[in-house]
Amino acid sequence: MVMGSSQLWPPWVMEDIHAKSELGRYRIRGFSTFQKVTHFDDLTFLSTGLTRFPLEGYKERCNTRTVIGARYAENPLVLDTPIYISGMSYGALSANAKTALGKGAAMVGSASCTGDGGQLPSEREAADKLIYQVLPSRYGFNPHHLDQAQAIEIVVGQGAKPGTGGLLMGVKVLDDIADMRDLPQGIDQRSPARHPDWLGPDDLAVKIEQLREATDWRIPVHVKLGACRVGDDVKLAAKAGADAIVIDSMVAGTGASAEVLIEHSGIPTVPAIVMAREALRELGLYGKVTLIASGGIRNGADAAKALALGADAVAIGTAGLIALNCNKEITESDFESEVGVPAGFCHHCHTGKCPVGIATQNPELTKRLDPDEAAERVANFLNSMTMEMALLTRSLGKSDVHSLEPEDLAALTIEASAMARVPLVGTNKVY
Amino acid sequence: MVIVNAAGLTTRELNGRLKELAASGQEITVLNPHVGHNIAVGIFESCRIQITGSVGYYAASLLDGPEVAIDGNAGWALGENMMAGKITLTKDAGASVGSTMRGGELFVGGNAGARAGISMKGGTLIVGGNAGFLTGFMMQKGRIIVCGDVGEAVGDSMYEGAIYVGGEIGSLGTDAKTEEIGEDELLDILATLESHGIKQRYTFTKVVSAKKLYHFDSLERLEKTVI
Ligand SMILES: Cc1cc2nc3c(=O)[nH]c(=O)nc-3n(C[C@H](O)[C@H](O)[C@H](O)COP(=O)(O)O)c2cc1C
Ligand code: SF4
Repeated sequence: MVMGSSQLWPPWVMEDIHAKSELGRYRIRGFSTFQKVTHFDDLTFLSTGLTRFPLEGYKERCNTRTVIGARYAENPLVLDTPIYISGMSYGALSANAKTALGKGAAMVGSASCTGDGGQLPSEREAADKLIYQVLPSRYGFNPHHLDQAQAIEIVVGQGAKPGTGGLLMGVKVLDDIADMRDLPQGIDQRSPARHPDWLGPDDLAVKIEQLREATDWRIPVHVKLGACRVGDDVKLAAKAGADAIVIDSMVAGTGASAEVLIEHSGIPTVPAIVMAREALRELGLYGKVTLIASGGIRNGADAAKALALGADAVAIGTAGLIALNCNKEITESDFESEVGVPAGFCHHCHTGKCPVGIATQNPELTKRLDPDEAAERVANFLNSMTMEMALLTRSLGKSDVHSLEPEDLAALTIEASAMARVPLVGTNKVY
Repeated sequence: MVIVNAAGLTTRELNGRLKELAASGQEITVLNPHVGHNIAVGIFESCRIQITGSVGYYAASLLDGPEVAIDGNAGWALGENMMAGKITLTKDAGASVGSTMRGGELFVGGNAGARAGISMKGGTLIVGGNAGFLTGFMMQKGRIIVCGDVGEAVGDSMYEGAIYVGGEIGSLGTDAKTEEIGEDELLDILATLESHGIKQRYTFTKVVSAKKLYHFDSLERLEKTVI
């Protein structure tokens, strides 16, 4: 008998066809791509030897303070760590999850960000620094909330679903979520993909000025882009007057997206950062416009590599949710019976059935997340990541995470070398 | 009444001055706006601002409370995301007038460009003349009253709210339908128009959501219920 299994038709490809032949539409899910793409694991740091000496890993001072958006803003966003929590909507997430993220970030001198659905009062209270998103939907958009924000983020696109708007299934569009968004209860919400009041980059420049006028030029304006045509997009955003640009890559997480977009659009984080850096450099704005990277940042090493490639800060979504307890079996949960897969394999945020009370609006489930305990975990995790970054930085003989540079890296694969534009290990060659 | 001459002022200086005067409760007249963008943005006081001349994009946007009267034309996104208050414009408005507005009343004496009242979430938008294509696109709540004609795809993908058209409809948008207009509703519209000096008795066609796109028509097992 011939042994083997098809590479082209593994069971999940067949299951996908079975499901679609029943459904008659594209499939939707949460989490992020299942594809293996070039990522930070394909890069390694070249720590010190005889050419340079290290700093004491656990003791000597290493700066992690990060200033975001000093280009035009009177009060740039100043964080104690280059890592902050990215925008995730109240709606996709429970109120407890949002509050815990805001509070956890505040505990370590970092920031969190609102999301597609407006500002949750308890997150505003818990967060010391809150970034207020301006999305195409403008659900719950309120100029008073804008006025209270520490930074503004205009969302042009998201890495998990570039070129399309948000998605929130009807099971989550309930009660105050529907009210805050001015939507009928229980509808399957498909947010607009285009902004209602501006279309191209020239209009964006006027929009940015409007937001600055509304906030008296106090706070930075970020522009968030799904990483696709990164070079051109970054140049246009910078030219439109952004203080900071967030590049969100194809591996970025989502609460709900069409699977076809999660898997088949955008580019990975590593080349996205490099392309953004080069675009800013061409304009003479590298170092002036803050570059923020997001998508698949899981630990301090990923964050440090992102900074070495040219980012000034990183934003995390999924890792923050995992710190809250995502994909962890807890006393009250039973992943297999509640979402049909064991903990560790859940990507069911869109169903509203989150067994750990994060991506749900069901009061029985949200009770499973204690916001204060969860905030502690978020703070601990952000601290751990920051310490990991500092440790790596010192091992490279540097005393500031912002001094990390491409020179500190080598690539483990030819692809990573080509994308990161650093030499392949064992060679001096950049592919 | 205080007169602010916008000629020679930067946008920032002009808005700074307007916010200052608005806070002190003064009645303000702005002269020589010279079609500048972002004039009278983000004012939260109940005050009166008269702007004599045409304005650019985002005039009187992100407001909560003021009454702004503009004698001239306006560029894109006049009154964008206003929360409350009143805006009147004597002549034509560009695209996206009243986009995402959440409350208050916005009156355009002339014609409006494309996407009037796009993603509107409340309040009333009145257009004395015609409105362009995609009027009320993805509208969520509130009222749009257009005395003249509307272009193609009116009410496309709207959720709730109503669009009343006094003239011809270019075409209905996806998931939009017409509906019988109630008597009280009509009286209310006529009274609103009269408050802006429009006495003509238009025969309005009411456009609302057909609500056929509220849900995906098929869901996977796990998407169907909350436990
Ligand atoms: C549950 C969830 C909800 C999200 N909601 C939003 C949103 O409302 N607005 C937005 O710009 N991005 C949203 N995102 C994307 C995040 O802001 C961020 O770009 C992404 O999570 C970064 O990738 P990572 O998850 O790999 O860290 C969401 C992500 C998740 C996981
Ligand atoms: S555990 Fe909750 S937050 Fe994590 S993937 Fe599953 S549904 Fe989403």
